[in-house]
Amino acid sequence: MILALINSILDAAPPLVFAALGATLSERAGVVNVGIEGMMRAGAFAAAVAALVMPTPLGVLVGMAAGAAVAGLHGWLTIRLRSDQVVSGMAINLVMLALGTFLLEAVFNSPSSTPAITQLPLWFGHSPLTWLAIVLPFIVHYAIRSTPWGLRLRAVGEKPQAVAAMGVRVAPLRFGAVLLSGALAGLGGAALSTATLDRFEHHMPSGLGFMAVAAMVFGRWTPLGAAGAAAFFAFGNALRIGLASSAPGLLEVVPKGVLLALPYALTLVVLSVQGAKNVAPAALGQPYDPELR
Amino acid sequence: MIELRHITKRCGTTLALDDVSLDVRPGERLALIGENGAGKSSLMNVLYGLYQPDAGEVCFDGRAVKVKTPAEALVRGVGMVHQHFTLVPTLTVTENVVLGHEPTKGGRLDLARARREVDATCAKFGFQLDTGAVVRELSVGSQQKVEIVKALHRGVKTLILDEPTAVLTPQEADELFAVTRRLSDEGMAVVLISHKLREVLSFATRIAVLRRGKKVGERTPAETTEDELARLMISGDVPLSPQRGEDRGEGPKPIRLSLTNLSAPGLTNVSLDVRAGEILGIAGVDGNGQRELAEVVTGLRPWTSGTFTLDGRALTTWNPRLAHQSGLAHIPEDRLRRALISDLTVEENVSLGRHQSAPFAKGPFIDFTQRRTITTALLEANDVRPREPELRAGGLSGGNQQKLVVGRELDAKPKLLVVVQPTRGLDIAAVAAVREKLFAERQRGCAVLLVSLDLDEVLELSDRVLVMYAGSISGEFQKGEFDERVIGRRMLGVKDA
Amino acid sequence: MRKALPSVLSVVSAIILCFFAAALTRDFGTAVDAFLAMWWGAFGDWPKFFETGSAATILRPLGEAGTKAAILTFTGLSVAVAFRVGLFNIGAQGQLVVGALAAAVVGAKVNAPGFVHVTLCLAAAAAAGGLYALIPAVLKLKRGVHEVISTIMLNWVAISLVDNWLVIGPLKATASGDNSISGTDQILPSAELPRLLGETSRLNFGLVLALFAALGTWLFLTRFTRGFEWKAIGLSQDAARAAGIDVDRGFLEAMVLAGAFAGLGGAVLILGTELKYPATLGAPWGFDGIAMALIGQGHPLGVLAISTLFGGLRAGGTRMQLFGVHKSFPELIQGLALLLVAAKLLWERLLRKRGTP
Repeated sequence: MILALINSILDAAPPLVFAALGATLSERAGVVNVGIEGMMRAGAFAAAVAALVMPTPLGVLVGMAAGAAVAGLHGWLTIRLRSDQVVSGMAINLVMLALGTFLLEAVFNSPSSTPAITQLPLWFGHSPLTWLAIVLPFIVHYAIRSTPWGLRLRAVGEKPQAVAAMGVRVAPLRFGAVLLSGALAGLGGAALSTATLDRFEHHMPSGLGFMAVAAMVFGRWTPLGAAGAAAFFAFGNALRIGLASSAPGLLEVVPKGVLLALPYALTLVVLSVQGAKNVAPAALGQPYDPELR
Repeated sequence: MIELRHITKRCGTTLALDDVSLDVRPGERLALIGENGAGKSSLMNVLYGLYQPDAGEVCFDGRAVKVKTPAEALVRGVGMVHQHFTLVPTLTVTENVVLGHEPTKGGRLDLARARREVDATCAKFGFQLDTGAVVRELSVGSQQKVEIVKALHRGVKTLILDEPTAVLTPQEADELFAVTRRLSDEGMAVVLISHKLREVLSFATRIAVLRRGKKVGERTPAETTEDELARLMISGDVPLSPQRGEDRGEGPKPIRLSLTNLSAPGLTNVSLDVRAGEILGIAGVDGNGQRELAEVVTGLRPWTSGTFTLDGRALTTWNPRLAHQSGLAHIPEDRLRRALISDLTVEENVSLGRHQSAPFAKGPFIDFTQRRTITTALLEANDVRPREPELRAGGLSGGNQQKLVVGRELDAKPKLLVVVQPTRGLDIAAVAAVREKLFAERQRGCAVLLVSLDLDEVLELSDRVLVMYAGSISGEFQKGEFDERVIGRRMLGVKDA
Repeated sequence: MRKALPSVLSVVSAIILCFFAAALTRDFGTAVDAFLAMWWGAFGDWPKFFETGSAATILRPLGEAGTKAAILTFTGLSVAVAFRVGLFNIGAQGQLVVGALAAAVVGAKVNAPGFVHVTLCLAAAAAAGGLYALIPAVLKLKRGVHEVISTIMLNWVAISLVDNWLVIGPLKATASGDNSISGTDQILPSAELPRLLGETSRLNFGLVLALFAALGTWLFLTRFTRGFEWKAIGLSQDAARAAGIDVDRGFLEAMVLAGAFAGLGGAVLILGTELKYPATLGAPWGFDGIAMALIGQGHPLGVLAISTLFGGLRAGGTRMQLFGVHKSFPELIQGLALLLVAAKLLWERLLRKRGTP
């Protein structure tokens, strides 16, 4: 039973882990990214559709590209135009919500999902994306801690003026981080539609993008923390899926709706208990204005 | 040798710099003085690559060069330490110094080598710094040293310091000038931007005066005086120092506010009295509890123990609303963050603080006519320009914003006035106007609590001065006993015998 | 009125851009037909009216537009009101759901004369929505949880609990023994919102309520001292606090009102159109509310205007299917307009900044 649980966490975690890593990168650079949900949706849809006409691994890459493209829009709005970062993110979410529904129905004539694709071949019983989800947090951690780029990323999220004063340009640095965050969110979405499931479903990612942002907050804006928190939240999701299939008797006692609500309620409880220990990057949410000193 | 030739720069519709030419020679200490907005920072920003001139050129050793970014300025050996530090608080000294040109080993950050190199630079120029310390734990004076080391580490030959002593104690300022002397002796050029004439005369080998974007004169300290420099700076008569007004000698005045053993986050066992008709000044290095003290008095910060007595009544609850109702007025230091809301109109801002009751409100409704009448009168009485009640407050200049805030707060005829950094960023005329208003309030019998990081200002305006260090009062001085050296020591928490 | 420019321009640009997208993917003629179909479906089928003289051709589309506009106005106001104090109420959907459920239950289970019954249902919906919005407000004040995350989580909690448990379980329709009816019990006739145009259209009193809500909100925000305080809080918490404004209380009050509005939107949906809580609520009214509020730049009357327009476009959208354009096309227009507003607001601000010296 425990093994089954661990397995279902391993299967449910990748989308959340990738998305949480993406959110962390963007916000560490100082750009709020609540558009992760929309970027995941774009990635999920693009990957599921691409995988219909090309090998699934390529489809995953297409998903990443889609996520990055959407992130490019967010970056342009927030960095170049200095829009409110939350508004931009939410606008993107709403647009992706509408676009996904529209394309699903217009192109596939189905209100619920795209046709099934062949999933990635399993390695040692799990999707390759699962193994990637275990390794990637450490790679991102290393990049942020021990590379010049990582140092500059950390600096630009705390005090962009310091970075500019040393001759490093703030906008490209931030834009790069946002693009990466979109690619990772796209990867998370692709994981949903090619690994966790084998199609794009009309609700995807059903709030997982926001859960990833919550994981980032819970994980104190660090890659390992965010990934760990994401795995923890994935546990909630896994519980729902796993329990429903492995303990059908449970459904007699606990209504399906309650189980569905569980991961979201859990996220909320976790954040509430953690309280306001604000260790967010200091310049988070403030558009950088070189004229202001 | 750097030559700035015929530099002109437009900012919007005004000429920030108007055909300014200036040399910077190796081995000299050049002071650049002028009022706020005269163009001193702008000129140096052109040299440092932060601004691009609309006309004119920058020449290094005779060759004209385009300095498009600070990176290019650094390559040419020009470094600048700004008024607001550009340090990342969460990173170490070493990380801050090497940011942007980090030593690497195979793609990986080589922090060990970085630290060795930064230590070497510190040793070479005689700075004592713990290069492994995280910047936010350093004192302001040490942080400034880090800023200087940042520039020196890049091998600059010209160092520009923008109003460096604004945040230092007198002793730290002395230390800084000793450092600059060492640097210029070694052949570096040091440019000091300042508006403090006394320190300029003792620091500089040459002084350049800017006024309204034009260079109006160059002097050596030997051939000039503070008065002449001041006159050059403002092209008119220096406004007379505001008069304190006679003490009417009616005996000790009533105590308006009394804090006894008051503690709060950031304050430990503070006891003080503020009397009607006196100005009590609070001196201290930034970050030693002055802000917290002002917040407690104005109701923005709760206290955890001790007593807070207003007009003889010990209070148990206190918040900004009660404060306003009890006759307290507050001129905060960051007017755009605390006192005014930029996106509201001037008249809406005038109503802030008193908006809940007559005459600004009629029951639950806003009384638009009364609000307009009061605003028009206020703008007139305080010479706020432009006289447009419906203008967005953020569109006013800094000086006019401050006049608006001061006018609004004093219009309520307060019994206790808390002022924090009242003249920061204002030009000479505006500074004189504000100080005159403070003296007028004092004369009217208002109790004034003045918090300022500018020690000169505190000493000039106050009847009594308290020095704060680490959240407590470390010294008290009466007018007539002000000794800058002793006060400076108290600011650093040194208790002499 | 200059402030309305970004909204108007964005919507117009979005419509034009989407028209070209349709023209490119089908062909010019079809696109024109489809757009006209949408227009007549939204604001009255005037050609048919001139042909047949039947009032229904005008009134029925207008009625559909009006019913949708009412709900969008309420959810739009919900988001706009919270915006005023600087809070992002992404939870309008969840608040609408609980409000709708409350209205459906009170409508079906309580016996009272017409006017009283309707009032009770509305009150229940407003209370449910308001209380549900109180949760994220309290969490923000006491535990510092960002309202974007908490309201979204609560949306999903509400949808899961209501759609997937309560409505198919304990509150499922029992009136008839027929298990094929989904949703809750039908509400009693005394709870229905009166139809404004008789039987020719579904236009109901909800639109009037929405109108009053928008006007009332506008008056409150501009003429009441309290409304002024909310504006100050939204622009600068620090300055508001220093001016003696109780910021925490402002947050709570604004969120409760926001939740109440969303709940009322749910009530209008149930009491005016659906007449019970259905198995699925259909459109994501709550999220659309966010779009209405943003495109309308947070102004209550702007929200009303935008909601009227998009309510119409949504009603007309079903007719586009006849021309091979998918019925959710108006949502695309909505999304594009939203992005354009987000960008346009910044063009404005940039232009203004360069003007000042």
